[in-house]
Amino acid sequence: MSATTSPAGSIPGATKDMRVARALGSRRHRINTLIKVACIAATALGLLLLASILFTLLWRGVAGLSLSVFTNSTKSPGSNGGLLNAIVGSLIQTALGTVIGTPIGLMVGTYLAEYGRGSLLANAVRFVSDVLLSAPSILIGLFIYQLLVEPFGGFSGIAGCLALAVIVIPIVVRTTEDMLGLIPSTLREAVIGLGAPKWKMIVLICYRAAKEGIATGILLAVARIAGETAPLLFTSLGNLNWSVSLGQPMASLPVTIYQYAGSAFDDWVQLAWVGALLITFGVLAINISARVLLRRTK
Amino acid sequence: MSATTMSGQEKSGGFGGMQTKPATAMNAARIAIDNLDFYYGDHKALKEIKLDLPDRQVTGMIGPSGCGKSTLLRVLNRMYDLYPGQRATGQVMMDGDNIIDPKMDLNALRARVGMVFQKPTPFPMTIYENITFGVKLHERLSKSAMEERVEWSLTRAALWGEVKDRLQASAMGLSGGQQQRLCIARTIAVRPEVILLDEPTSALDPISTLKVEELIDELKNDFTIAIVTHNMQQAARCADQVAFFYLGEMVECAPAAQIFTSPKQKRTQEYVTGRFG
Repeated sequence: MSATTSPAGSIPGATKDMRVARALGSRRHRINTLIKVACIAATALGLLLLASILFTLLWRGVAGLSLSVFTNSTKSPGSNGGLLNAIVGSLIQTALGTVIGTPIGLMVGTYLAEYGRGSLLANAVRFVSDVLLSAPSILIGLFIYQLLVEPFGGFSGIAGCLALAVIVIPIVVRTTEDMLGLIPSTLREAVIGLGAPKWKMIVLICYRAAKEGIATGILLAVARIAGETAPLLFTSLGNLNWSVSLGQPMASLPVTIYQYAGSAFDDWVQLAWVGALLITFGVLAINISARVLLRRTK
Repeated sequence: MSATTMSGQEKSGGFGGMQTKPATAMNAARIAIDNLDFYYGDHKALKEIKLDLPDRQVTGMIGPSGCGKSTLLRVLNRMYDLYPGQRATGQVMMDGDNIIDPKMDLNALRARVGMVFQKPTPFPMTIYENITFGVKLHERLSKSAMEERVEWSLTRAALWGEVKDRLQASAMGLSGGQQQRLCIARTIAVRPEVILLDEPTSALDPISTLKVEELIDELKNDFTIAIVTHNMQQAARCADQVAFFYLGEMVECAPAAQIFTSPKQKRTQEYVTGRFG
């Protein structure tokens, strides 16, 4: 009580020494500069590595770009092959993987956010989903291999789609739950307060309020599976010929890159660079549109 | 409208010239609460509440934060059912039904007991769709009948003039005060019997507050209204009867003029004169 009313002179401790204050100030200043420089250097290093990857990719990839890349399928070395089958295969498998995985992920995410909040089952499901989110993707490939490829006698496009779908599910679960969780409870109560059943609240209001966020999650999932190699090695395997049959092995960009990049033939290596360029810029485009979508929500 | 009712009441009491409505006879109860207890898990938040909401009159609920007034409001439309662990016992009679009966049809109940919240809660859709959303849940109307209903409810909520040319615009683009009147329009579009207002003006500027208060005065011709407020002037201006809550108990309920000028309980007097709370 007395401290608040007493004059400044009677504050406990020695009288304020300006020299000490200045020394402390310049010490803070030095540490500040040191940390700032360290942070900038680390950022520069990271950006430099990234830029060097992109530059190399552009340098080697653009050199091999030609119309035949998009019109011809992969062929034996030295016969002007392209990547058509790999591009189309990637598009098919990515699209189907997304189409199969998204509804499941959406429904699980909805369950976690709207129905199971706080329940034991929901906590278990969320934990498993999070584990799946960071599981090595080769395990998912092996899982589908055991489930579909071995019992049904061979590699197939559909097995690749399903492996990718398994990767999509936890990503969509996570973003759906997070985005629905951002909706204020007053909005839910307002819907319920009008006499709406819960499912109408979820479908007509919550999904609408969270649609940009959920769409962003789906796009990020697409970007992720578009570049996956490991889950396809044991499932759709890859195919040197043109094939769009889901029952047959199917080519894809990442697997083709994997097979060609290490080959002894110059034109194959060149095609691998082109494939890497295509996939990198495809994924980049998806990521940028996800960012733009998310910014629109805010 | 409210200005004229207030002007004759300048000297209605000794509490700093607070203006209250003239005392009117209370109508028969639309909702009769008796022996109501409410629990958040083990915590008893409402204790043996007994209170009548008179038909087509405004009941104000005042009291310090955490006293249970909002909780009571949320019992009246069973909003607490959304949250596990919350339960009520006792009697809340409306039209011969006990509202807190587990067998109650909740969606039908909420069509009869509408609610407006502290923060405006427009739905992420057009102004027109905001109004029709609730109506479509309970009625099947032709397009022209629906348009009539939209105009009627927006007019009653004193918003029609401001939005009639932009019904197809998103409701998120309205100002806070307009959004709150939209929420009121949305609630009355369902044609409830009772409207619950949970601090409806605490997020609004003074002009919007005035508009909403005038609206409340207008709406009580057709609806029974319960309003929770932290603003005692507002309770005095809007309410016919005022109930004072403290620590989960209903301490006193009386006509507004009496609560603010000559309360019977000492705690009420201390609260309305600003000595605590």
